[in-house]
Amino acid sequence: MQRGLPMQPTVVLLKEGTDTSQGKGQLLSNISACLAVAETLASTLGPRGMDKLIVNDRGEAQITNDGATILKLLDIIHPAARTLVDIARAQDAEVGDGTTSVVLLAAQLLKEVRSYIEEGVSPHIIMKGFRQAAQLAVKRIEEIQVKVDKSDSEKFRALLIKCASTSMSSKLIHSEKPFFSNMVVDAVLCLDQDDLDENLIGVKKIPGGGMQDSLLIRGVAFKKTFTYAGAEQQPKLFKDPLILSLNVELELKAEKDNAEVRIDQVSDYQAIVDAEWEIIYRKLEAIEKTGAKVVLSKLPIGDLATQWFADRDIFCAGRVPAADLQRVVQAVGGAIQSTCSDIKREHLGTCGSFEERQIGGERFNIFEDCPKAKTCTLILRGGAEQFIEEVERSLHDAIMVVKRAVKNGEVVAGGGAVEMGLSAHIRKHAFSIPGKLQLVHIAFAKALEILPRQICDNAGLDSTDILNKLRMRHANGYIWFGVDVDGPEGVRDNMEAFVWEPSLVKINAINSATEAASLILSVDETVRNPQSENPAAGPSLPPGAAQRALRGRGRGMPRR
Amino acid sequence: MAEHQALYATDEYGRPFIILREQGRKVRTHGVEAIKQHILAARTVANIIRTSLGPRGLDKILISPDGEITVTNDGATILSQMEVEHQIARLLVQLSKSQDDEIGDGTTGVVVLAGALLEQSEALLDRGIHPIRIADGFDRACKVAVEHLDKISDTIEFSTTNTENLFKTAMTSLGSKIVSKEHEKFARIAVEAVMTVADLDRKDVSFDLIKVDGKVGGSLADTTLFKGVLIDKDMSHPQMPHTVRDAHLAILTCPFEPPRPKTKHKLDITSVEEYKKLQEYEKEKFTDMIKRVKDTGANLVICQWGFDDEANHLLMQNELPAVRWVGGPEIELIAIATHGRIVPRFEDLTTAKLGRAGLVRELTFGTTRDKMLVIEECANTKTVTVFVRGSNKMIVDEAKRALHDSICAVRNLIKDNRVVYGGGAADISSSIAVAKAADEIPSIEQYAMRAFASALDSIPLALAENSGLSPIETLTEVKSRQVNEGRSTLGIDCLGKGNLDMREQFVYDPLISKRQQYLLATQLVRAVLKIDDVIIAGQAED
Repeated sequence: MQRGLPMQPTVVLLKEGTDTSQGKGQLLSNISACLAVAETLASTLGPRGMDKLIVNDRGEAQITNDGATILKLLDIIHPAARTLVDIARAQDAEVGDGTTSVVLLAAQLLKEVRSYIEEGVSPHIIMKGFRQAAQLAVKRIEEIQVKVDKSDSEKFRALLIKCASTSMSSKLIHSEKPFFSNMVVDAVLCLDQDDLDENLIGVKKIPGGGMQDSLLIRGVAFKKTFTYAGAEQQPKLFKDPLILSLNVELELKAEKDNAEVRIDQVSDYQAIVDAEWEIIYRKLEAIEKTGAKVVLSKLPIGDLATQWFADRDIFCAGRVPAADLQRVVQAVGGAIQSTCSDIKREHLGTCGSFEERQIGGERFNIFEDCPKAKTCTLILRGGAEQFIEEVERSLHDAIMVVKRAVKNGEVVAGGGAVEMGLSAHIRKHAFSIPGKLQLVHIAFAKALEILPRQICDNAGLDSTDILNKLRMRHANGYIWFGVDVDGPEGVRDNMEAFVWEPSLVKINAINSATEAASLILSVDETVRNPQSENPAAGPSLPPGAAQRALRGRGRGMPRR
Repeated sequence: MAEHQALYATDEYGRPFIILREQGRKVRTHGVEAIKQHILAARTVANIIRTSLGPRGLDKILISPDGEITVTNDGATILSQMEVEHQIARLLVQLSKSQDDEIGDGTTGVVVLAGALLEQSEALLDRGIHPIRIADGFDRACKVAVEHLDKISDTIEFSTTNTENLFKTAMTSLGSKIVSKEHEKFARIAVEAVMTVADLDRKDVSFDLIKVDGKVGGSLADTTLFKGVLIDKDMSHPQMPHTVRDAHLAILTCPFEPPRPKTKHKLDITSVEEYKKLQEYEKEKFTDMIKRVKDTGANLVICQWGFDDEANHLLMQNELPAVRWVGGPEIELIAIATHGRIVPRFEDLTTAKLGRAGLVRELTFGTTRDKMLVIEECANTKTVTVFVRGSNKMIVDEAKRALHDSICAVRNLIKDNRVVYGGGAADISSSIAVAKAADEIPSIEQYAMRAFASALDSIPLALAENSGLSPIETLTEVKSRQVNEGRSTLGIDCLGKGNLDMREQFVYDPLISKRQQYLLATQLVRAVLKIDDVIIAGQAED
C-alpha cells in the first residue's frame, strides 16, 4: 500500500502489521468481546445450568460446568476477554466457587454502562461509581450476613451440608447431592480445624461402578504399586503396624553403575557376588530390626526384597508416587529415610489399621486411623472417566465452600437472594446522590440482577415475572427471598430453604467483578504486535498472563 | 458453514472478533442442536449392538487394523474394538466397560437401555421440555425402578453342595454365546471354578485365583477345569520324567548358572591354568547348586530364568526334573497354590520353603508336540485353571470371554444372592411400576417418567425382535398378562419353549447386575442431556 504512494511521507512508529485501534470504538469493542464470552458461560449457571463439552485438538474431551475450567479450556486470546478468564481463576484460587457468577457479573456491569460510554460519559466517572457501589455492597453483605453458631456441632454440621449441597446443585452429581455433601463435609471435618489444608484431602479416581459407590477413607489410600512375584504372599492386613517410609532402592543391581570391579582370580568371583548379596541383606536386616511391618519406598523394591519381606510377614510397596508417600508420612508420622542404617523408632510412623483392599477393578493400599495429621482420601467412582473428572471438580468446589464456611462461618442466602437484596439497597442509596454517579450506581444495581435472571432463564422460568416478584418482596423487607427453580411459585425464602453460600464467596465475587470491569473500561487502546513469522512453530503464546493461564492451576485437568 | 464455526460475535461493522485461539478451526455446536446430535450418535452406537442382545442375538466380526479377527457378541468387547471416535459415542463405550469392570455381565443391555432413554428424550425435547427436567424425571423414574427391582427380586439358595441355582444362572449368561452348544459343560465349569475359590463367609471371590487359559485345537467339549495351576511350559529336558507324584517344588528366581555379580565386572584370563580353573569353578558351582536343591528334598525345580545345556544335563543326570523360563505371575501363582516360598538364591533354600503338590504332569495334545504342565492336588486347594479348547483362535477367545461373563454372573450371586428374572421380565415389570408411579406425579417430570417406562420396554422388544418374534405383539401380550395376573416373572420366551414364566424356565439375572444397568444408563443420559455447547478444536494440520 505504501509502496504505491512513495512520495507520501509516513511516520512509521510501529512494526508493520501491528494492529492499533483506539478510542471509544475500541472500548465498545472490548465490551462486546467480554459479553460474548460471558454469554457462553451464562447457560451453566444455577441448578438447571447446562454443561459444556470441549474437545481439544488432541481429541480429548472434557465435560464440565465449572466456569473457571470452561474459560481455561476455551483458550481465549482476546486481550480484554482474557481479563475475565483471570478473574475467574482468581475467584477459583481464592474461594473455589462462584467462578461463573463473577464472570457474568463483570460482563453485565460492562453491558449496563455501555450506553453511557456511547453517550460520552468518562470511563473514570463510571469506575469511580462502581467502586463506591461495590463498597456499599460489601458493607451491606457484612451487615446482613448470618453468623453461624459453631458451638452446637450437630447443627453446625447440618449447616455445612447445606452449603455443600448448594454448591453441588448445578453439577452432574446433583442427583446424589445428599450422599456427596455428607462425604465432603466429613472430609473437611477430618482435617485439622485450625489449618484446613485441602491438599490433605486426596482424591483417587477409579472408573467403574456408579457414582454412589464412591467412598471416603479416613486416612490415606493409594493404588497398589507394581509388585514383583512374592507380593501376593505378603500379609495384607495389619493392626497398629509400624510404617517405614524410604527413599532407597532395594534391588540387587542398585550399585551397578557406581563401581567397576577387576578380578584377578576366579576364587574372588564368589567373594564379589557374596559382597553384593551382603549389601542388600544388610539393608533388609536393618529394616527388619526396626520392627516395621509396612515398608514403603519411592524407589523400586525388587523381587528379591519382596520375597524376603514376604518370608518375614512384612508388607512392602515400591515406587510409591512421591505425593502419596508424602501424605502417608504426614498422616502416620515419621520421616522419609534415605538410608537403611540407624533408623530409630521415632523415624517410623504408625496407624490404626493397614489393609490392601479391592475397590472396583483396582487394589488399594489403605491406611486408616492415622495419629498424626488428619487426612482423608476420596475414592470416586463413575461410569466413565469424564464423569469422574467432573465429579472431582464439583467436589473440589464444594470442599472449598465448606472450608470457607468452617473458617469464617458467615453465610448469606443463595439463589440470587443476596444479589436482589444488594440491588435494592444500592438503588435506594443511589437516589440520595446527585450527578452522573447516580446513574452509575443504578447501573450497578441493575447489573446485580443478572444472577437471579440467568438462573431463571436457565431453568426455563419467566425471568421478568420472577424478578418483579422478587423486587416486590425485597421492597417489603423480606431480604432473603430468591429464585426457587422447583416450586410452582418461583420465589421463596432461601434462608429458610437452606440455600446458603458463604458470604466470602459473594464479597470476593463482587470485588473482583468490579475490578475487572474497571480495568476493561480504563483501556482505550490495544496495540497488538503481528504474529510471529513462523506459524509452523505452533501457536505463539502471548507473554505473561497468557502463559500462566495455559499452565493451569494444578487441578481439574488430568495430568498428561 | 458460518453457523458451524466457533464464531462468537461481530462488531458493528460485521468484523468478527477473534476471541479464541485459532477460532476459524474450531467448531461449535450449541443448544438443542448439540443435544440432538449427541442423541443421534448414541443411538447409532446402541443400534449397532442391539442385535446382539439375548439368547438369539447375533455375533459381530471385528477386524483390527492388523487383520486380527474377533467374533463376539459381548457388548463391551464389540464397543471397545470398534474404536469409536465420536465423543458421546465414546461415553457409551466407557459405560459398557464400566458395567464390565464392575459386574462383568449385561454389557449389551446397559447400552441398549441408554440408547432407548436418549431416543425417548429426543421426543421430549421436541415438546420443549428443559433437558435437565428430563434428566430429573429419569432420575426419579430410575429410583422407582430400582426400588421395584428390590421388591420383585427373589433370593436363591445355594451351598457348597447344592449349586443347582448357580448353575442355572451361569446357563442364562452363556445362553447367547458361541459356546451354547456346550453351555451345560461351560456352566458347570464356571460354577465349579467359582465355588472352589470362593470364600463363602466373606462373600468374596478372588479372580486372581482363577486362571483361564486357551489353546487352539480339539473342540469346545474338550475344555477342562484343573484344580491347580496350568503353565504353558514343559520339562527342560525331553528325557526327564513326565509325571512327578508327591512333588516338592523348589521355586527359584535365580538362574541355574554360576552367580555373577551385578556390578560391572571384567575377568582377565591370561593363562591356560586360569582358564581351566574357571571351568573347574563353574562345574563345581553346578554340582553345588544341584546338591543344595537335592538336600532340601525337592524333586522338581521351577525356575524363573533359564539354564544352559550343561546345567540341564546335570539336572537330568541327577534325576531332578526342572521347568525353565516360568513367568513372574505364574511363579507367584504356583507359590500360592503350593504354599511354597519363592527363593532368590540357592543359599536360602530350605525344606520349609518348598511347595507341595500331589501330582505334576505333562499334557500332550493331539498330534502337535505342544506340551503343558499341570500342577494338581496342591497344598492350597483354592486355585483353579480353566483350559479352553476350540477349533480356532476366534472360538477360543470368544469362549474365554463367555466363560468370564458366566464366572462373573456366578460371582455376583455369591456376593448378593438376590436375583430378578431375565428374558425382559424384570424390565417389563419395572416399566409397569414406573408408568404407574408417573401418574401420581404432578410436575412436568411425569412425561420423563413415562418416557423412562417406554425405554425400559426396549430391552424386551429387542429380545423379541432378535428371537424372530413379532416384537410389539409379544411385548403387549406379556405386559397385559403381567398386569392381569400380577406375576412379575413373565418374560419373553426367546427360545420358543412355549412357557412365558421365566422362573420355570430358570432364566435368572443377578439383581445387582440389573440395578447397575439402570443406574449407569440413567447417569450417562443425564450427562449427555446436560451438555448444550460443544466446542471442538480442529485437528492440527501437519
